[in-house]
Parts: sequence; C-alpha cells; structure tokens
Amino acid sequence: MVVSTVATGDRTIGVPAEGRVDPFGDPFLRTRFAVPSRPATFLPRRRLTRHLGQALRTPLTMVNGSAGAGKTLLVADWIATLDRPVTWLTVEAEEQRPGMFWAYFLQALDASGTPLSDRVHVPADPSRVSRKVLSEIAEDLVGRDPAPLVVLDEFDRVSASRIAEQLEFVLQHAGSGLRLVLVTRNEPMFSLHRHRAAGALTEIRDAELAFTPEEAAALLELHGLSLPGDAVHALVERTRGWAAGLRLCALAAQESPDPQAYLKEFEADRSTVADFLLAEVLRRQPRETQDLLLRVSVLDRFCPDLVNGLTHRTDAGRILAELHRDNAFVEQLGQGWYRLHPLFGEILQTHLRVRSPGLEADLHRSAAQWLRRRGTLPEALAHGAAADDWDFTAGALVDDLAIGQFFTGLRSDELNELFSRMGPEAVGPAPELVRAARDLAQSDLDRGMAHLHHAEAGLAGEAGDPAAAQLSWALLEAVAARLTGSPARAEQAAETADEVRPEIPAHLLDKHPELPALLLTHLGSTRLWAGRYEDARAALTEAAECPGGAQTVLPREESMGHLALIDYLNGWPGRAEHKALAAMTETERFSLPQPSGTGIERLVLAAVAVDRNELGRAQSLIDEADELALEIQDPVQAAGRALAAARLQLARGNTRAAVASATPAVSTAVASPWAEGLERVVASAVHLAEGRTGTAAELLRQLPDDRPAWVVEAARLRLAAGETDAALDLLDSLPAESRPGPAVTVRAALVRAQAAAQRGDTETARRLVAQALLGARRERLRRPFIDAGRWIRPYLAAAPVRPLAAGWLVPAAAPPSTAGPAGSRPAVAGPPPAPVVVQELSEREHDVLRGLAQMMSTQEIAADLYLSVNTVKTHLKSLYRKLAVNRRSEAVRRARDLRLL
Amino acid sequence: MRYEIRVDGHMSDTLAEAFPELERVVMSGQTVLFGSVIDEAHLFGLLARCQSLGLHVVEMRRMPE
Repeated sequence: MVVSTVATGDRTIGVPAEGRVDPFGDPFLRTRFAVPSRPATFLPRRRLTRHLGQALRTPLTMVNGSAGAGKTLLVADWIATLDRPVTWLTVEAEEQRPGMFWAYFLQALDASGTPLSDRVHVPADPSRVSRKVLSEIAEDLVGRDPAPLVVLDEFDRVSASRIAEQLEFVLQHAGSGLRLVLVTRNEPMFSLHRHRAAGALTEIRDAELAFTPEEAAALLELHGLSLPGDAVHALVERTRGWAAGLRLCALAAQESPDPQAYLKEFEADRSTVADFLLAEVLRRQPRETQDLLLRVSVLDRFCPDLVNGLTHRTDAGRILAELHRDNAFVEQLGQGWYRLHPLFGEILQTHLRVRSPGLEADLHRSAAQWLRRRGTLPEALAHGAAADDWDFTAGALVDDLAIGQFFTGLRSDELNELFSRMGPEAVGPAPELVRAARDLAQSDLDRGMAHLHHAEAGLAGEAGDPAAAQLSWALLEAVAARLTGSPARAEQAAETADEVRPEIPAHLLDKHPELPALLLTHLGSTRLWAGRYEDARAALTEAAECPGGAQTVLPREESMGHLALIDYLNGWPGRAEHKALAAMTETERFSLPQPSGTGIERLVLAAVAVDRNELGRAQSLIDEADELALEIQDPVQAAGRALAAARLQLARGNTRAAVASATPAVSTAVASPWAEGLERVVASAVHLAEGRTGTAAELLRQLPDDRPAWVVEAARLRLAAGETDAALDLLDSLPAESRPGPAVTVRAALVRAQAAAQRGDTETARRLVAQALLGARRERLRRPFIDAGRWIRPYLAAAPVRPLAAGWLVPAAAPPSTAGPAGSRPAVAGPPPAPVVVQELSEREHDVLRGLAQMMSTQEIAADLYLSVNTVKTHLKSLYRKLAVNRRSEAVRRARDLRLL
Repeated sequence: MRYEIRVDGHMSDTLAEAFPELERVVMSGQTVLFGSVIDEAHLFGLLARCQSLGLHVVEMRRMPE
C-alpha cells in the first residue's frame, strides 16, 4: 500500500514516550512491577541462585516449572543478591492485547530506572503493536551496557500468543542489549533449540527446582520441625520435591499435635498432594481466615480494604499479614496489595463453589462496587459482568461517561464481548443505552434506534441525577442522526449535550475527551450531508483539534477526512489530499485497527487521483475504502464513494457504470444537495456522451446546489451541448466572493477558452488555456484538459503555451529529430500517469532521495551523507523541482513510479 | 470426541467439582477423568486446569467412540 508508506514518511509514528499511560488511558497497575517479597520461612537455595547467575551472560533465561514449584520466589531471591536494577513485570492474560503488553513492558523498564529513550513510541492500541515500534525498542536496546535485565513472571499467561513471537523478535534484534528471564509454567513458543544450540539459554526446569532431601530438611527446620533423615526422604518422595507440597506439609504438621505421626499418615495417603494438603491446611485455619481465603478467590489481587468489603469484617489487614508471614496461600505485591498463590486460587475457588453455592455472584458484585469507587472501570465492569448484574455494569459504564468507547476502536471489542453476555432481562435506561451503542456501532440502525427510544423513555421517568445518561443519550442520538442523514436530529442532540454538560463533573469530561470529539464529528458529518458546509467545517475543525491522543484519534481522523471532502468539493484537491493524508497518518501513528474509520479520506484521495488522471491509483484507493467500509452505512461515506467512483467511471468512458455508481446507496431523512448535484452532473454527462444533447441540458437547468464546482461542470456540459451563451451566463453568475479552488477555476477557464475558440478568437483562447495550465500545473490537474476534448490539442502544442504543459501534461521537450509531425501530436488523448523527468538527478540528489525513501529526517540524511542540513535542503528543493512535486512523500512516490528507486 | 485423563493420586470430591463436565473413577492410586471433550480448545483447557490445580497428568488418551 504505497499511500501509507508515503504518508508515514513525513512524520514519526506513535506517541512520544513521555507522559506514558496505559493504552486505555487508565493508570498503570504498579503492583505488576513489584518484585514479590520473600516470607520469613523462605529457604534460599544457593545451587539454584548460582545457576541463575548465568542469566547475566545469556540473552534468554527460562525458569520453567509446575505451579507451586517455587519459581517466582527463587528469581526474587536471586535478584535481591544483584547489585543492579532489575525490571520486573508480572504478565497478565493479554493473549489478545499485545499493545497492552508492550506498553506495560516499556513502563516496567521506566519504573525500574532503566527507561528506553524518548524516541521509542508506545503502542496506543491495546490490541496490537506495530513492527516499527518493536524495531524501535530493539534498536534502543542495542549496545546497552549493562543490558537491562527483564523478568517476566507468569509468562505462561501469554506464552502461546503473538506476544512470544514479538518478544523473540525484540530479543533477536537487541543484540546483547537485553537479558530476558521468563518465569513460566509451560514451554514458551520460542525457538528454544536455537538458543540452546547457541549456548544462549540459561534453563532451570522442574527437576532442578525440586527440593533435595537436604533442602527439604532445612525447610522443615524453618517451620520448627526436625525430622529423621528417612522421614524427610519419604516426604520428598511423596511430594516429588514439590515446593508447594512441602510447604503445605510443614504448615499442616506444625498445627498437628504429633507432627511426625501426621507426616507418616500423609505419606501413606494416596490423595493428590495439593488437594489433600490444601484441604488440611485450610481446615486448620481459624474460621474467619478460611472464610477470607475462600472469598478472595474470586479476585486477581486484593488489598485489605477490598477484602473487608467482601468479608463484612474489619480485620483483613491483620489476617493477610499473618498469612503472608506464614507463607500460606498469599503473596505480597507491595503497596498493601496481595494475591493468592496462583495454585491455590483455583483450588480455593472450587472449594468456594462447593461450600457456598451462589455466593460467588455476590462476591463479584461486592468487588465490583468497591472497584467502582476505588479501582478502575474495566475491573469494576469485569466483576459486574461476572456477577451477572447488568444494571450495575451498564450503569457504571454510562455514569463513567465511557459509552463513547464503543466507537473509538480502542476498547470496543472488549466492551462488545463483555456486554454480549447481557440478557434481555436487564431493563432501564443504562442497559438500553448500552444496547443502542452496540447496535449503532455495528450500523444496525433499526435495533439501535429502538433501544435508543426505550432509553429516552426511561430517562424521562428517571429521578436523581441522570446528566451522564443524558449526555450518553445525546451522543448516541447524534450517531443515529448521522447514519440517517437527519440534520434536525443532530442539532437537537448537540443542544441537549450543551444543556447537560455543565452538570457533569469536570474530571469525568477530562477523562473522556472522545465523547465531545465524537459528538462534534457526527454533527459535522450530518451538516456536511445536508450541504451546510460552513457549519460543518466549524464543528469538524473543532473535532479535529480535540486533545486526547489515542482516545480521540478516530473522531479526529474522521473529521479530517470530512474536512478534506469539503476542500475537494470547493475545488482544492491539493488541500484535500494534504488533509486526507494527515488523517491517515494520524490513524497509523496510533496503529489503530484499520477497519475502524469510514475510510472517507481514501475516497477523497481517489477523487483527487481521478482529477490527476491517475486512474489505477484511484481504483485501488476505492477498493481499499470498500474493504474498510464493508459493514458501514454512512451517508457521507456513501456519497463520497459515489463521487469518486462515478468520476472514475466517466474518466474511463464507462457511462453506464458511472450512472450506476453516482447514486449513494443509503436512505436518509433529508437529501444531500451536493450528492444530488453530482448525480445530476454525471447523468447529464452520460446523456451528452450518448448523444442526447437536449436531455443533458435539461437536467442542468435547475441545480440542487449552487456549488461553483457544479455550476462550472454544468457550464462545460451546456457548452458541449451547443448552448454557448447559457454556459457563459452560468460562469458569469458565479459570485466573485466564492473563491473556489483551482479544480474549479481551471475548468472555468477552459470553458471560456473553448467558447473563445469557437468564436475564432484564438488569442483569447490561447491566453485562457495558458491561464488554466498555470492553475493546474502545481496540482497536476490533468483531467480537465483531457475532458476538454479535441479542440484544445493545437493550443497545447503551440509554442508559447507548450512549455507550461511540458513535463506533466504532455511529454517534455522532445528531441529535435521528432519535433516534426510526431512532436506536434499532443499527448492529451492519454497522457502518461506519471510525468517524464525533465532533468536527470545528480548523484547527491539520488542519495538524498534514498534517504527520503527510508523515512529519514532532513537531519538524519545530513548526518548520513556528511552534509550540512542546508545543503540537504538545497538538494531537496532541486529534487522537488525536477520531479515536479511539493512534498517528500510525493517525491518518493514519484521516484518509485519512475523507477528511480 | 471422548477422552480420558489419568492423574496421580485420589482426587477429593471437592476438587472433582473443578471438572463438572467429566466423570471420575478412582483406581490404584490414580484418578481417571473421562467424558466428551468439545474440541481441541476444550482439551487444552482441561490440561491447563489440571496444571493450575497442581495435578500430575500421567496419561491422556482418546477413547474409541
């Protein structure tokens, strides 16, 4: 896809590293960067820490063992002996969210005081990360001394995913600049054999992690148990040296009146080790501790206050501290947060279900309520959904003003997934708003509007403070207005939003910049559809300038795309192209999922390409836009597609196809004047081409829109239909203050030129053709000259005008030998899509061009070529001149077309 | 698909609740979990569940229909 490579050539991709936030805009969970602390009964094992010491010399280290084998604490113990910063990251189940993983990876490096440089961009989309960002990370690590040591704990949670592959890519390209330690329960999807063969892997596996009888004896000592050698042997045999098993043994034996007898009993028992021991140890805990352990099993991590909320007691702080001290069940994450040992979490949850069926939902509900007050919204939503409490969950989303996230492409998949479990029994405004948002986001208008209607009715009867719900409703109403092309509805929604906004706490509005940005975009889009260009421009400009990084990138992109369309309709293809490319660059900067916008900017680019007679490019842009907009039913998008496709078909001479494409396939509340204007002009052009002059002229008598673009088009067609005076009157009727762009003025000049040529006024015609060429040259507007027809050929070939057309419209200065009859043949019938290079590039210009193609900045090129920045700029200028372009992205594209690269 | 998963040790009734979709029979120091498995994803899910419960999988095999 040439467009995007070029579009990114000018600017850097991604978000600057400073001011990092989690891609969802939530604060990073600092507990994930904390090295778990070792309890007092932890037994340091020198043979293992010595082996781990080799990790400093190999790029990859893997501590791979079953649950409860003591992996995490072993690595934590080793780290404590090191005299250097270590980066710790506890991996979460981010199978589907590589962007989130890498954001945390970078933040973890930051938190450990070994940050990467600001040049490295942070992935803004939780669900993906671009190769470029990975390369940046790897490049930044190359040559670091000492190499950052990164521990990824619980790596099994992602080991089979794309993340493993990405991690290996970074490791491979970071040279010796990264030391990676994976703590995992299962084999990661790395090419371990290769690392092994190269001696680049330090590996500690289950067999090595298993306790030796000596170590087991020492561990039991720590618990105050002294056993004869053969008893320890038997115990190690029974537990296979499994750390968790031994620890539970010790705990259970401690509590029993005759520890030795108890351990004998355990040896003889044939139950599964963890199951038996856990039940034993749990049974020996005080009742309130048992209760606490069962209840917290529904949580990933917890702090005393949250646990008090679940147990309806006040002593969680003390109990958790004791449990941690005894090394039973809980691990400390720092900052007052704990988690259950992953092994026991599962078993405890099973016990909870057996002992207190039905309690699980209540616990999730209490957790959700606590997290709603003190934690992050996603956690609250997850527990609310687990409790099947949809009034609460939908209410939390709406009250947090987060409903716009269904439309920003960032969290929409996750929210959709979460709320897909919501059954029809949940009623009330909030669930209805959520249903409406889901349906509208998937362009299911009928269902969406029905839910929206229910929500509105519910809100009217609502007491209390429904401002957030009102604002959410206004946003969805604006979406519906846009999709149905009803400006009155959109204005009404915007008014409602303005009314309720002052009632909403400022921190909520600050947290959700996407909401106003989306609202303005929909308002602007609806206004544009209705032909209210200046009002549309006002709303869209405001939307395009909204702050908010990744959260608002989609509405900003869309607004830019719409603004590009307005420029195009005003006859400014250059400006339109610039805005459309900027819109696409913006989306790529944040590496958003591609099918998130409507693709309007691609359609504008396609229309611009038709004006330049780059028909192949126009076609591929339309195809790309179609792929993006498969599910979308958006009036402006449909009309934009009609515009680009109909013009392309006309340019190719497919009149039937042009008529078929000119009608946007949407049904709307009001008609769009510009969409109709286009339809009219295309139909008229087709009638004319097929010889029905009268019908063609008739169609143009009443234009639905007084856009200069259509007026000039109409004038051209009427001139071609033989109505010269009517054509000139039309042009004269254009208000002087409308100031249309070159695409309009060039065509107007050509109509006048043709009229003059018909009168026999060659001098005026030539002057007007020259004027048109001057206006068109910079924008490379070839289409108007091709559409003009045969009469223009002699003018383009004539001496005083020819230089203006040479190089971009007709072949450049032909060699003298062909200057005869062949040289006078103008290329208008089918000019080459790319112009001929006027002048050979110098060697230095070639070097600079290659730098451009590698997306290097001017400074980087200067450094690379040992030139001053100013010299590079001089080369750039002459390069642009020779390639007849204005920007570096165009230069690269043109150079590729001409096979200079 | 029907599978049986053989794990070391006798599983308690409580722990067996972690596999509500499977039947269970205890024999000679081992527990055999068996029943129909929906697809590969389910199968790997069962294995992961064994792992997170600290069970030793001794054998796993597909049974004739």
